[in-house]
Amino acid sequence: MDRPDRKQALGRLLGPAAPEIGCDECFDELDRYVELELAGRDADAAIPGLRAHLEGCPACREEHESLRALVGGDQVL
Amino acid sequence: MNAHATNARTTAPLLDAESRDWLRALRAGEPGREEAVARLHALLLRAARFEVARRRPGLPHLRGGELDDIALEAADDALVSVLRRLDTFRGLSRFTTWAYKFALLEAAVKLRKRAWQGRELPLEPESWALFAADGLAPEAEAEQRELLGAIQAAIAEVLTPYQRRVLVALALNGVPIDVLAERTGTTRGALYKALHDARRKLRRHLAERGFPLDDTEEAS
Repeated sequence: MDRPDRKQALGRLLGPAAPEIGCDECFDELDRYVELELAGRDADAAIPGLRAHLEGCPACREEHESLRALVGGDQVL
Repeated sequence: MNAHATNARTTAPLLDAESRDWLRALRAGEPGREEAVARLHALLLRAARFEVARRRPGLPHLRGGELDDIALEAADDALVSVLRRLDTFRGLSRFTTWAYKFALLEAAVKLRKRAWQGRELPLEPESWALFAADGLAPEAEAEQRELLGAIQAAIAEVLTPYQRRVLVALALNGVPIDVLAERTGTTRGALYKALHDARRKLRRHLAERGFPLDDTEEAS
């Protein structure tokens, strides 16, 4: 197994080192976070702990990616 | 009632015109509400179909008709959630962005559950092979073996039985959190809290024993 896979497995097991918010708070803030990101603003400063949560929670990360892609696509149209 | 009125006053200046129109049209008793609800449903269905399309390559066993049904069901459930939570919309994003996330969540959760339907949840460690480190120098390989041993010991000794089950299922065996929540009768938030606590314990335990933990990266 190559090194990136092992590092990922360790990351998945131990989660983010930085303080993070929970799933419910992540869902509450996700729309604002995505719009700040797409506007080129500092979303991480505005909503501390959300980025770390996305690193630690695959489900919230997938939903963040989808919302960002959907809203980003709308803005392009 | 007063809280809602206060909330509406404080968020109103932040609202863009389109979001304001959505909120006005969706309020009970407004003329044209039925048409606004239908437009909202169409918007949510579009988001749900978007999510289904994104995940479709990973769901080869599901037919198109089933996927359409899941998208429609997700849009229906999201519509109920959005209308029920209309007063909680703070105007910190556009209304459509806020509404989209409900449909994406519903579709994602349904697809995760469908993918695991009928499968037994692996609750014992299955994936230690990922921690094996082929091709490392002998010294690094020995360090890696030592870390793996310390992790396995910590999981067995430091965590509560519940934390162990949650950590092993979610972080080691890749069970989706919504699937585990459904099977164990709890919520995603409660499970993630248990996972978070377990991870903190593991990190503390390993750090106290001198293992460097900055050599981790975001899981994909």
